[in-house]
Amino acid sequence: MSTPVVSTDHLSKWYGQVIGLNDVTVTVAPGVTGLLGPNGAGKSTFMKLMTGQLVPSKGSVSVFGEPIWENPGLYFRIGFCPEQDAFYEQMTGLEWVTSLVRLNGVESSEADRLARRALEYVDLTDAGGKKIGAYSKGMRQRIKMAQAIVHDPELIILDEPLAGMDPILRRKTIRLIKEWGREGKSIIVSSHILHEIESMTSTILLINQGRVLAEGNVHQLRDLIDEHPHTVSIKADRPRVLAREFLTHEDVLSLRFEDKAVVVQTARPDVFYSRLTELAASGELGTIHEVTSPDDNLQAVFEYLVKS
Amino acid sequence: MTPASAPRQPSLLFSTARIFDLSLGQMLWSRRSVFLGLLVGGPVVLAVAVRVVFALFTVGVNVNRARVPGDVVFGVMMWLLYVRFIVPVLGVFYGTAFIADEVDDRTITYLFTRPIPRRAVLFGKYLAYLVCSALLVLPSAMLVFFLIVPTGGGSIAQAFPGLLTDLGMLVIGLAAYGAVFAFVGARVRRPLLIGLLFALGWEPTVLIVPGYLKRLSIAYYLQALVVHDVPQDSGPLVILQAFRESPSLVVALMALAVIVVAALWLAGRVVERREYVLEQ
Repeated sequence: MSTPVVSTDHLSKWYGQVIGLNDVTVTVAPGVTGLLGPNGAGKSTFMKLMTGQLVPSKGSVSVFGEPIWENPGLYFRIGFCPEQDAFYEQMTGLEWVTSLVRLNGVESSEADRLARRALEYVDLTDAGGKKIGAYSKGMRQRIKMAQAIVHDPELIILDEPLAGMDPILRRKTIRLIKEWGREGKSIIVSSHILHEIESMTSTILLINQGRVLAEGNVHQLRDLIDEHPHTVSIKADRPRVLAREFLTHEDVLSLRFEDKAVVVQTARPDVFYSRLTELAASGELGTIHEVTSPDDNLQAVFEYLVKS
Repeated sequence: MTPASAPRQPSLLFSTARIFDLSLGQMLWSRRSVFLGLLVGGPVVLAVAVRVVFALFTVGVNVNRARVPGDVVFGVMMWLLYVRFIVPVLGVFYGTAFIADEVDDRTITYLFTRPIPRRAVLFGKYLAYLVCSALLVLPSAMLVFFLIVPTGGGSIAQAFPGLLTDLGMLVIGLAAYGAVFAFVGARVRRPLLIGLLFALGWEPTVLIVPGYLKRLSIAYYLQALVVHDVPQDSGPLVILQAFRESPSLVVALMALAVIVVAALWLAGRVVERREYVLEQ
């Protein structure tokens, strides 16, 4: 049996009185693993523990069989894309990624080559010379991913990488993550949207209120999800035109308008997202800027799981 | 993707140099540097004003009706404005922010998930601070020198070697205060407040308290490096001179070196072991 990429033993983390993670014992095998849970479930805490940014309050966490805390050598093998939208805004994307990969002990010319290659992977070659401060939300997400993969790590940890991306970019990013998985990388990717995780992998860790509720195959959750309507918010140039189109489909249960967004409840998220991606690609009904999904629908499933 | 270069843990020196590269530009063009640039511009403005007044009214600084040469006035400015105020304030504002800025901006994640010793982040930023603060303070001190020294019959040529010593003293002061406040910034929750209390409260207070307490200040050792004599015939300056009890030059330099090394070592140790919880 191959060495697990991450293993935890009764791992707990609390911040004062607040529990971030509670007695988690899991083993993450090589491959793509989705970490699914609503906001505040403990996903980011778990990721910070497995990237050695936090010390366990109790228990232990190992990456590739070694403890990660105070073990910087492991970062050669790990790439981390954090959730926070934080950068050195005055640097260009290329400068930033080059500077970070230089911290891996890479010489200047090699660092430049690796950074350009990483930018190419995330489709940012043309924007590499622009200051990060001028990047769109989607570009900022991708430059974060570029710094995570620039040193060609074995394990890539992505915290909500699709947040704020438009449908086309989401599709590209999902394809990229699957491609890395096929190349033999291990990837741990978090999201609060089952549909996103499902499109990347069938292996999930379900986390809520600091506890891992289930681990295994995502398809077992499908039936449960379908019983709960899924809410999607779409920011677009022409939300009313989009709404008219949505209403012609049976899976759309309701919709309302919020600012420049149309908020849709659908009974079939997979069908809805697929149709939305096609609409965005065709551009027939105007530009779609951002797709977000509140976690109310997932929360309902978690409540069900906790009760059952 | 093809494998990257074979992993070899970068040395502390290499990592420090890379963080220095990454931080220097950020630090130089930060709002903090603009603000502190205005602060170090203060003595220059004062020197220009003094020079203009002297030129227009042919007056000078007089003690007991004797004109005080410009190099003495410069020495007083050096001690009171630079060593006792500007250098500690620069140390506080930069030093306490080495790690705090990265935490507040939530960019520390990118540095702490690279295969470098965490203390290299602190050391690299410390070096960037030394360059940045020296670039602010030294030109200011030089301008003040050239504006003030010729007044009252002072001679630039004669005073120039003293200027070089002063500039060296300022750099040593920046190094010492920066190291101490780097430790404060890494260790305590409200580093700026604690730092200001130390720089502007503790330091001037213990210097005028008789006994050994003054040895727990940086200014005590720095004043041993001051080459200028302070005129003793005016009230406040006599008091000032009376408390200028200084250690020998060798002792002062050794003490300052110990302060720098010990403070940086402690700060590095704190950064290695402390977890930084970022606000979401």
